[in-house]
This record gives sequence, structure tokens and C-alpha cells, in this order.
Amino acid sequence: MTDKRNTFSRRNFLQTTAVGVAAAATGTIAMPAVLRAQGAGVKLGVLQPVTGALSYSGQQGKLGATIAIDEINAAGGIKGIGRIEPVLGDAQSTPDGGNAEVEKMNAAGVVAIVGGYASSICLATTQTAARYDLPYIVDVGVTDAIVTRGLKNTFRFGPGFGVISKSALDNLVAINDKAGKPAKTVMIVHEDSAFGSGLAKLLNAQLPERGFQILETIPHPTPTRDFNNVVLKIKAQNPDIVVPANYYNEYVLLARTMQQQRVRPKAIYSVLGGAASSYKFVKEFPEAAQYIMDCNHWFDPRNPKALELKKKVEAQGQFYTYEVFMNYSCVLLVADALARAGAADRAKLNAALESSTFTGHVMPYGPTKFVNGQNQGAAPANTQVLGNDIQVIFPETFASAKPVFPMPPA
Amino acid sequence: MKAPGYLSVVAVVAALALVPFVTSSNVILNFLVIALLIALVGQGWNVLGGYGGQYSFGHAAFFGTGAYTTAVLQVQYGINAWPGFAIGIAAGALVGAVIGFLSFRSGLKGSYFALVTLAFAEVLRIVASVAPITGAGVGTLIRLDVRFEAFQFQSRAIFYWIILALVALSLVIVRMIENSRFGARLVAVRENEDAARALGVDVMATKLGAMTISAAITAAGGCFYAQYYLFLDAGIAYGPWISVEALLAPIIGGVGTIYGPLLGALVVKTLGEAAKHVTGTAPGLDLIIYGAVLVLVVGFAPRGVAGLLERLWPRRSRAPARAEEGKSRD
Repeated sequence: MTDKRNTFSRRNFLQTTAVGVAAAATGTIAMPAVLRAQGAGVKLGVLQPVTGALSYSGQQGKLGATIAIDEINAAGGIKGIGRIEPVLGDAQSTPDGGNAEVEKMNAAGVVAIVGGYASSICLATTQTAARYDLPYIVDVGVTDAIVTRGLKNTFRFGPGFGVISKSALDNLVAINDKAGKPAKTVMIVHEDSAFGSGLAKLLNAQLPERGFQILETIPHPTPTRDFNNVVLKIKAQNPDIVVPANYYNEYVLLARTMQQQRVRPKAIYSVLGGAASSYKFVKEFPEAAQYIMDCNHWFDPRNPKALELKKKVEAQGQFYTYEVFMNYSCVLLVADALARAGAADRAKLNAALESSTFTGHVMPYGPTKFVNGQNQGAAPANTQVLGNDIQVIFPETFASAKPVFPMPPA
Repeated sequence: MKAPGYLSVVAVVAALALVPFVTSSNVILNFLVIALLIALVGQGWNVLGGYGGQYSFGHAAFFGTGAYTTAVLQVQYGINAWPGFAIGIAAGALVGAVIGFLSFRSGLKGSYFALVTLAFAEVLRIVASVAPITGAGVGTLIRLDVRFEAFQFQSRAIFYWIILALVALSLVIVRMIENSRFGARLVAVRENEDAARALGVDVMATKLGAMTISAAITAAGGCFYAQYYLFLDAGIAYGPWISVEALLAPIIGGVGTIYGPLLGALVVKTLGEAAKHVTGTAPGLDLIIYGAVLVLVVGFAPRGVAGLLERLWPRRSRAPARAEEGKSRD
């Protein structure tokens, strides 16, 4: 669906990402040279899982990145560099799929890659890109191992687990304390790959320290198409708070199943809930989404550029999800670094990213500052679905509503 | 007894070994590495499924065991990757022997055997997704350390030659099986288990032997995967994707033929890439084309690519003759 508004043609895409399997068969490979001959400007890899289990998020990420590229090109390209030519890649929701795309993008002569989305994909793709000193800007992947391996090419614009879980727990404690500590018990439902499991591990270590008792932690694979048993378990244990940590489809299904089975804890408090702060979810299932709180990536609602982007995305009939504004910001970050580097050179770009103090993004992070590849200002926000909208409840500096907790009875 | 048929193995491997001299494109090499990896895993499946007639849906159990053993030994115990690789293969073979012993002893055949192997793989996947030693759901990340000693190489060409060497070894093993009495017994068991038993073939030992060899070859694929991608989680190592790839390659290429898995893997992977190539930005369209062409291939070439080639260019067919010969010897 997102492809209707792509401004680059199929031919263009083929020219830039041509795999050349046929060429291999004839033994006439000279791909980088051929591709370099395609024209000036700069090639930027946009790597997303646009098919497979994570396809919705992948397509949203691609949307954000391509909007940014279109805007930059419409304004005449990057100063001193020229237009950005996107090289789109589909990681097929697997690390090896992502890895193969990095190889293609490298051969196509991209100056950097933006994206990856899932932690497991980012772990593999950043490593492959590191072989070529190819700058890689991780859009979402939250596992902290992504930036703790000492890879000089890897930059993560958004926050990682450590920061997110700390922020989520601080805010949870604050919300609970303010309401007179009605919540004492927690159940965690998480997807079982690097993202969900890593988070569950952190929560299992930190929630008891903050006075919460964890009744049970339930892992499930992605995709999962039935949450009846999980919800029955929740019903049996009757926790005060349910903490889901999973991707979009599973999150929606879990919330709907809870609604169907009339399971209504004092709060559904997600940490990086795949759908909890998604306008799509709120619009399609407003009742299931009502009062759900989430600690997640969120745009800066004070930033006119962020609101303008929201309008633009919605005008295209799309939803303004975190994948969109994260990838949008990441592309702008690369463009800024390229302008400062003054050349489409990977080493110079790595250095420019390392010293980046970029403020033109739409996130509430302040100027970028990378230490070991991690953007230090990156932090999540807490949101709650209230009525037909998503309101920010933390941090208080740009909160648009007070948290409703405990959830009123149905 | 003379051991015929090795010349073609040498020729095929030598031709493939020259690829890095023809192209330095890492895209092509990466593509071929994946295709050869699937060919290796498929060859593992072929020993048991193609020659032994025991269709497994759970070769992920061996792939994952090999992969995790190599990775965990390095990450948790600091054991060097090279011996880790060998131990990984041995561990995979052991898991194969155990699963084989349990299922063959219970007399499981056909679809029941397929289901029980699938179940074993799923159990291992779930265990790996919660066990601390495998890193649970977070997975195991092997540290990037591009040195020969750490079994990591800057050049894709070296990885390519390593996987090619493993494929070559698997081809030799399969040729040896074809030429041996063991191979003849295996084919006899595949064709008619009761008749084979009546002729004095130790059915249990034959099937168990095939299962162990099959598991070892597949585990080698897993060990290689761990070294190539340096990251594993339960879904990658024990997920159904690899079980499907393992049986798809030989079925497309030609079940029970020495080059079936190699042909199948190359055809399937090339098809996938070619579909991507023609569909451009439309997400998923390549997978639809890939699926449709796959259906056509299976529909019009039920004996796989090898069978199709034989039908197009009929020539002496050694394998069945040898099988007959073997049967009469037993």
C-alpha cells in the first residue's frame, strides 16, 4: 500500500539494487563499476523488513525514510552532495535476509544504510556493514548489544533497552505512587526473540527491586495467532498490571483477546508495546486500546515539523507510527552529517556522525551526541490512549494529559 | 570393488571453486554461500530422506544443535571456534542418533516419523528460547573477531571455499554411501523394509546409521551458519524455516540423487533472487512469483531438476543399477 506514493520508479530501483544473479552466470561481474556509472548524487540504503512477520513495521519505516528523502530532494538535495537516491532493501524479517541486502547495498555503492528495525536483524546487518566501514544508522533496534560491540560504523539514533526500561519503571512507580500504590502484582507477556526476551529479563530484574511482585512471565513466538490461552492464564492469576512487550500484530491480538474475555487489570502498561501507541490500533480498535499506557518512541509534540509530518503522513492515508518518525529523523540525521562531511565518503561520514549535534529531527532528544554509537539524548515518552487519541503523560515537560490510573471499570 | 563416480564430484567442486576468481562481488559470493549452505543441509536431509526413505520435517534439530554448540562453546566457555566446529558436528550427530534411536525403536514410519522429528525440533526451539545457556530469547552473539584463529574472515571468498569444502565432503560421503554395502542396505530399507529385513538387513542399525550421518552433515551447516552470521536465536537455529529449506532443496533438485540438493538449492535460491529482480519495489510480489514457479516446477518435474535433466538428456543411469547390484549382494 505504501508503494503507491513512491516517487522512484521500478527501473530506478532495479538499476540500483540489481543483484546480478544472471550476470554471475555469465561471469561478467563488474557491478560496482556499472552502478557508479548511473549518475551523480548519493545512494542511501533503506533497509526494512517489508515482507514477513514484521512487514507492517517495515513498510512504515520505509515510508518515513522515503518521505525524508523526497523532501530533501525536493529542496534540491544535500548541499555540496546532490540528490539522494534511495536503494531499497527487504530484510524479509530475518537476519540473513537483511545481511544479503547489506551486501547488495554495499555493492550498489551506498554511502550509508538506515533502518533494520528488529534487534536481531540489526545485530547481523550492522556487523556485515562494519566489514565495509559502511555507516549504519539503526532506526529502532533496541537491544543494547547493538552498540556495545565496538563497531565504529554503527549509530543508534533512538534509545536502547537500558534507558527505556529505566524510564518506563520510574514512570510506572511515579504513576502508582501518585494513585496511592494500588498495584502490587505484574504479569509480563513478551515475544521470544531478542527484543521481547531482553526486555522481560530486565523487567524481571528491576520490577521486584521497585516493590512489584511478578506473578508470571509468558513468552510467545512471533507470529502468534491465538492469545486465548495466554489471556486465560492472566485471568487465572489476576495481576494488577499486565506488561506486554511484542510487535504490532501480536499486541493487537492480545489486547483484543483481553477485551473479549473481559480481563481488565488496573493497567495495561507496555514497554515498547508494538501497538500501544499506534494510531492505527486506536482507530481500528478504540475500545481494546482505551487507557493502555506505553513507554515507547514518541515524537516531540511541541515541534511544528513533527506535526507537519504527521499531517503529511495522514494525508497519504497512512498512520503516523513510531517507525515513520524514527526513520524520517534518521534520514535527516544522515543528510546533515553528509552535508558536514562535504563528500559521499564513508570514512568522512562516520566521523561526521560521530561528532553530530543535529537538532533538525522530530524527536524530543535535543541535539544528537553519539558516544560509542549511542545517541545520548535519546529517551522514550509515556503515552496513554484516551478517547480517540494518544496523549503524552510523561515526561511532564511536554505531557498533554494526566495519566488515568487505575483503569476505570468497563 | 572399484569406486566410480568421484570424477564428476571433483569436476563439479573444481568448477565451483573457481567462482571467486571470476567474480569478486560479495553479493554473488554471499548468494552462493547461502545456496551452498542450503545444499549442505539439504544433502544431510537427502541421506536420510532420499536414500533411506525416512522423511524428516525436523532437521532444524541438528542444524540448531550444531549452531548452538559452536556458539555457546565460544561465548560461554571460551573454546576456540575450530574445535568448537568439530564438537558442534559431533553434538548434532549425537542428537540425530538419540532421536533416531527413540523414533525407530518405536517403529515410527512415514508421516509419524515426520511428525515426531518436527516435534523434537520444536521442543528444542522452545528449550533454547528459555534456557540461560543459549542466551534464551535474547540469543547468542559471537564476538566479531576477524581472524583465522577465530574462524572469521574478512573475505567472503574464504567462507565460500569453506562451505564449498563442506559440500564437497558431503558429496564424497554420499558417493561413498552409494558405492557401499551400507548404501545398498539403505536403499533396500527405503524400497521395502520388511523385504530387507527378511533378507537379513539390520533395519534398525541401517536407519540409525543414516540418521547419524544425516544429522552430522546438517549440523555442519549449523556450525557454519553460526560462524558466518555470528548471531543465533531460537527461531533461527531451531525454527521450521531450516527444516523446510532442508527438504525443499533435495525435493526440487531430485530426491535420492547425489546432486539433487546442490541443484535444488541453486535453483531455489536463484529463483528467489530472480523473482526479486523482476518485481522491484512491490513488497512480497517476489515471494508470490517464487511460490508459483515452485508449484510449476514440482508439478512438471516430479522427480526434481535431476529427473528433468535426465528426461531431457537420457544417459546411462548408474545409481539404480548399483542399487540392484547391492541388493543382490546382500
